[in-house]
Amino acid sequence: MSAATRIVRPFASRALPQKLPLSSVRRISPAAGFPRGSIRSFSQSPFLEVKKYTESHEWIELADDGKTARIGITKYAAKSLGDVVYVELPVKELEVGAGEPVGAVESVKSASDVLSPVSGTVVQGNAILEDKAKFINESPEDEAWIAEIEVSDAAELDGLLDEAAYKATIDDE
Amino acid sequence: MLFSPRSSCWKAFRTRRECGRLLARSNSSFTSNHFAQLASRPTSLHQIYQSVSNDPYVNLSIEHFLLEHAPPESAILFLYVNNPCVVIGRNQNPWLETNLQKLHNDRDRVGNDTNDEDAVFVRRRSGGGAVFHDAGNLNYSVISPRTSFTRNKHAEMMVRALHRVGATNTNINDRHDIVMSSINGATPRKISGSAFKLTRFRALHHGTCLLDSPNIDRLWSFLRSPAQAYIKAKGVESVRSPVANVSSAMEDALAPFSNQVVIANVMEEFARLYQTNPDAVRRAQRAYAAEPELYAGEDWVAGAVGDLEASRVPEIKMGLDELTSLEWKYTQTPQFTFSTFPIEEDPRERPALPSSLPTSVRSTRIFLRLKHGAIIESYISTSDEPTLAAEQASRVHEALNGRKLHELQLQQWTDILVNQLSPDEEPEAIQELARFIGSQFGCS
Repeated sequence: MSAATRIVRPFASRALPQKLPLSSVRRISPAAGFPRGSIRSFSQSPFLEVKKYTESHEWIELADDGKTARIGITKYAAKSLGDVVYVELPVKELEVGAGEPVGAVESVKSASDVLSPVSGTVVQGNAILEDKAKFINESPEDEAWIAEIEVSDAAELDGLLDEAAYKATIDDE
Repeated sequence: MLFSPRSSCWKAFRTRRECGRLLARSNSSFTSNHFAQLASRPTSLHQIYQSVSNDPYVNLSIEHFLLEHAPPESAILFLYVNNPCVVIGRNQNPWLETNLQKLHNDRDRVGNDTNDEDAVFVRRRSGGGAVFHDAGNLNYSVISPRTSFTRNKHAEMMVRALHRVGATNTNINDRHDIVMSSINGATPRKISGSAFKLTRFRALHHGTCLLDSPNIDRLWSFLRSPAQAYIKAKGVESVRSPVANVSSAMEDALAPFSNQVVIANVMEEFARLYQTNPDAVRRAQRAYAAEPELYAGEDWVAGAVGDLEASRVPEIKMGLDELTSLEWKYTQTPQFTFSTFPIEEDPRERPALPSSLPTSVRSTRIFLRLKHGAIIESYISTSDEPTLAAEQASRVHEALNGRKLHELQLQQWTDILVNQLSPDEEPEAIQELARFIGSQFGCS
């Protein structure tokens, strides 16, 4: 191969796969999905199975029931923060407004708030992270979710970034 | 309309456009009343402040206000020196990271025997480990857009400033700390530690810089807990490093070395990094010496701030109230255990109980599990007979369950233990036991 392709290809692979949160592309399989045990049927509105993003690098995924959602930080955020050493989880029944902290992570002497993308009430924090904060670096957009909330109004998710729009914001940085 | 500084500029702030136009005309001075408006003015892209307050809570609260309210594209330098205090990171444990016995006790509501001269204990909002501040330590803080931020950017700025004053043997290590190498090849000593707070659009980097601390040889004593052998904590543990004063390398320097000389050079380096108007630097450098006031140009604000701002600006006052609250200081602590015997999650060998304890209570076992600073599980017994010990532990737990550790002073520990254990033990022995527990948690 010519030198030109050798230069171009690594750039492309750097620009795309690393910044693109892969788990958001593939749909969660019903068996491993959330909440546990629910089987997705084709009759359900596709808008109930949404994963959205914020400019501050959080993701939120609405469950099939259209009411509960899990919140976490994106792969991009986890990578840029470095090794996470502690996760502050929200307490049950905490009421949060959109853009208010629903937790915080600490990495390399840096504290960063995790902002709730929508308003709602905390159902639980992800207890796994109490003992294993580093899990955030391993599975940020999947099992290392930070908070589960009951959303006040699922329509609030419509105002958030979809995957393509989020990807565009991190490409700008 | 000509702008008249200091007289009635309040009205000028009613519309941003008007304010920008007026300020564009002059390099004007303002009273501290205008700090909040000037700092959050959309055109205030460069801001340099030095604090005239030595109160760590006030300075951290002004800093937090700037992080939350300055325009998203602005770059801000804030310099301050605090009265003696120990500052722990957001997710640290005061009972493990500090020697509370040596610090001002704000947990004892009746206590009036504490000395106002004592160093205070502070929990900051940024991450990282525990540090000691005093009049010989300069704190620098740079708030900048998150997108262009790196963890070394402002430590490098500090190193350039230190080189300018003659401390040419300083550089940055892989923990983003500034260290000073010695001539004889000994291990470099830390002179500056850093911590960060990131928000949606902003990055705050603040750091200490040990210029000439009179406590350099004993500051470790504030950062060593008597309960180290017994506490196992989640959260963030400090990394202990040997420290030195910058002044120790400058004993032969020709120019006199002072905080203010370093401050002037840090301001210069900040201005070079962010291409700040030289007027701003000049004003900032002089503001401290003259009557504290603020100056502003078209795209900058500079000057001195302090206690007045903290009492007048509601947002700063709110931050101050949170930072000084016992909830923030103590119950923000991540989960931890205190155990005088090895347990599964903390199997370390334990030191023997102190010989001050009467022999009758030498088989005492003490275990506490705390969440949000409150006791959620406990096992305290004095008997070496298992059934009796279990009964004791259950009685004591009834009294301890849900209690916040910072609310238990020596009197409370004594009352609880006397009430729950007195059928089995002599009051003197129980009091001695309470004293031992109290000493582990800095009770008075």
